[in-house]
Amino acid sequence: MKKITTAAAVGIVAALALTSCSAGGSGDGTSTELNVYAWADEIPQTVFDAFTEETGIKVNVDNFDSNETMISKLAAGNSGYDIVEPSQYAVQQLVGQELIEPLDKSKIEGIENLAPKFADPSYDPGLEYSVPWVWGTTGILYNSACTGGEEITSWDSLFDEKWKGKVNMLDNMLAAYIAGLQVNGYDADSTDEAEIEAATESLIEQKSILAGYNSTNYGELVASGDVCISEAWGGTSTAKIVEQNPDVHYVLPEEGGSLWVDGLSIAKGAPHQDAAYEFINFLLRPEIAAMATNDGGLASANAAAAEHVSDQGLLSNAAVYASDEQVENADFIVDPGAAMKFYQDGWTRVKAS
Amino acid sequence: MTSMTRAIQLGRKEKPKRGSLLLLIPGIASVVLLGILPLFIVARNSFAVADNYGGITDGLTLDNYAKLLDPVYSKTLLYSLGLGLLNTAVCLVIGYITSYYIVSRPAGKQGFLLLLVIIPFWTDFLVRTFAWITILGSGGPIAGVLGIFGIAGFSLIPSNVAVVLGLLYSFLPTAIFPIYASMRSIDGSLKEAATDLGCGWWGVQRRVILPLTRPGLLGAALLTFIPTMGVFVIPVLLGGGKDPLVGNLIVTLYTEFRNQPMGAAASMLLLILMLISMVLVGLLLQRSATKGSSSRTKRSSTEKGA
Amino acid sequence: MTVDRVVNGIARGVFVFLYIPIAAVIVYSFNAAGTNTRFEGLTLQWYVELFQDAALMQTLQTSAIVAVITATVATAIGIMFALGLARYRGRGRASLLALIALPLIVPEIVLGVAMLSVFSATKIPLGILTLVLGHLIVSLPLATLVLMSSAAMLDPSLPEAATDLGCTPWQTFTRVYFPLLRPAVVAAWLLSFTTSFSNIVMSTFLSGVGSTTLPLKIYSSLKTGLTPSINALGALLILLTLVIVLLVGVSQMRRILVESRS
Repeated sequence: MKKITTAAAVGIVAALALTSCSAGGSGDGTSTELNVYAWADEIPQTVFDAFTEETGIKVNVDNFDSNETMISKLAAGNSGYDIVEPSQYAVQQLVGQELIEPLDKSKIEGIENLAPKFADPSYDPGLEYSVPWVWGTTGILYNSACTGGEEITSWDSLFDEKWKGKVNMLDNMLAAYIAGLQVNGYDADSTDEAEIEAATESLIEQKSILAGYNSTNYGELVASGDVCISEAWGGTSTAKIVEQNPDVHYVLPEEGGSLWVDGLSIAKGAPHQDAAYEFINFLLRPEIAAMATNDGGLASANAAAAEHVSDQGLLSNAAVYASDEQVENADFIVDPGAAMKFYQDGWTRVKAS
Repeated sequence: MTSMTRAIQLGRKEKPKRGSLLLLIPGIASVVLLGILPLFIVARNSFAVADNYGGITDGLTLDNYAKLLDPVYSKTLLYSLGLGLLNTAVCLVIGYITSYYIVSRPAGKQGFLLLLVIIPFWTDFLVRTFAWITILGSGGPIAGVLGIFGIAGFSLIPSNVAVVLGLLYSFLPTAIFPIYASMRSIDGSLKEAATDLGCGWWGVQRRVILPLTRPGLLGAALLTFIPTMGVFVIPVLLGGGKDPLVGNLIVTLYTEFRNQPMGAAASMLLLILMLISMVLVGLLLQRSATKGSSSRTKRSSTEKGA
Repeated sequence: MTVDRVVNGIARGVFVFLYIPIAAVIVYSFNAAGTNTRFEGLTLQWYVELFQDAALMQTLQTSAIVAVITATVATAIGIMFALGLARYRGRGRASLLALIALPLIVPEIVLGVAMLSVFSATKIPLGILTLVLGHLIVSLPLATLVLMSSAAMLDPSLPEAATDLGCTPWQTFTRVYFPLLRPAVVAAWLLSFTTSFSNIVMSTFLSGVGSTTLPLKIYSSLKTGLTPSINALGALLILLTLVIVLLVGVSQMRRILVESRS
């Protein structure tokens, strides 16, 4: 027993040592470390490796499962992170809570490489706080073997009695309302109470035909035929499933589109600011940005990266890169601000009904 | 006689010893510092006002509680309580049977069997859950076998059956361990004596093992019922997420709705509800214990008289 | 005794039930298809990828360290509390019991967020220490309740008998209590270890720079899809455990044999 106690004590001391050491480095322009908090695999490991090789800066990467988790970590203060990777609406929330630093544009090189759509986005005008990295769409994933060969082109199908028990919706309020609003002919980022109410009614009605709400493994459910049609996010996993299964298709609905963007921001009080700017500049290089597509399977926000994409077919694969025309018409899903209340009340009723 | 009864009876004779009080300190300190102190923050936040960006302002309001009285939430609560009770009942029955089996094995084998119970849980929770999705889904082995017999279209994903199965799978060890621990301490000769006195299998269970295992069963019931309230991944992955549980509700309030004050209020309500049910269980236990002991005392006094 | 046979049958069925998904994990870890929805022949590719994934291995190490420390501390505190409560005859037993079980009633997300505020207010950096503290509070009730149901069964005259025989309190513990409690101690340690090792919610809020745990890593990769190497890791963990169990089992057997001979 004494041995066990000693072992535990040693363990605790070791743990304390580990935690206190992990803050290493300093902020005086000679950082040897960089702490990144990002979505899993959105910045491929190869990018970090290349950065470390070139600069000698060691990168510690941690992943989060949702914007909300990341925000609450930052809100608690002294998180120790330098770079965070929020989605578009999360940038607005982080700015509102003053959790990220305004970017010093004089230290950033290569911002002109970004595609026009991302150069001055509605959620962060003038890119004061974030640099877009990867982007994607919200659309429909369906299995044509399951639909009997019928092509699905519209949100209408997700509300059609015909597919009762074979439809899945993303388990995410803002994503569900994209379909709910657009199927009624409204904008996906509506802030109008009556429009949101109409969408709520549609979503409540839709519930009886749903197999479920799932934003985790919906792709596999569609591939296996457990559901035929699902609302889906374009991106790595969707592209993988479409590629592996010829019956599975990803389409953007004819009612319009919506975009998500995950970008790079510097956390308030970042301990290694110089390294953070160095990292952002590194990621703005076209050949590095192309690695998001080559190694991560995601669309890069960097227009100059296109020529460095090794599989040029991906540039016209709707599951990864939506067409320019679609992107032009698509809107960013932004933070609804004061209208958030209408969404929340509605979504609560949808879920509880 | 159960340990509780014994403790209560002894309580009338002896005074607390200082040594035993010292032993309680680390446990109390841990819970106070790591559990109760943070809960004060939750309690405070439940009266606060959320700002537009998910932060908390300093205000003081009862609105968060008032909003929770909306009938849309009562359905979620009732569904959770029902599912929790169902899961507890199933876990207790299966846990009791499994513990009984383990205890009936030779002493050297019991540790091994116990390990066999826990080892599956060293594989990640999500990996196991995804394995269940594979097994129960339309591409899985069950569907394959049924397909051979011409039954097509089998899939239990998503379904309530899958949720119950998933919950049972997740909470079974938590149920088995306390039941096993208290069953293990039962003197084997008691069982033999009861059998010799003509008790059948059911008789032995009812008169000897079940009463003596009661602390373990109660522990198991608490350990299964309460955490079921907070579950939120299983209903989404296995059940399709159409019927949210209280756990889903609180997670949604905290994350997606970024309304910490209301999430805190929901948590406080759940906390109060759970405390009330714990007190009720405690009172029931105490009453049945005193009743049992008084009837026994009566019997022994009549025996003496005879 | 036909009822006994039925009971044994059901119990064996339970053990099969527990290993059904594990069997699936192992089988699909060799699946060439790269998805769990169909099977396309055998491959070792995922195991190769697993060992090349340094980040994943790092998270495994973090999880193991945190789980061992948590389980040991929780069991030690749990033993003290269970023994103390078993000998405590005063008022408020029920309240003490409720106190130790309290963290169970609080949904983990609430506790996690609240602890995060406490740690940030006290400037304790997030990392292994905060993970251990967070896991401790969720596994302590489990460990204690398991130990208590066993400690309650101990004969209350034991300590007096031991003292009469000249045992110091520490000897009373090591020679009398510990052997009697050993099954429960093992059960409590295993349960706490497992609780910590598989925890997602507390870890989400209490992990810091460089201390991502395995479940966190897996949970956060759900957005891009679980890779089959996760299956391979699951299969390996089970195999590793079985090997350890067998080794420990063998050594314990030997010790018992040696002791009985001497």
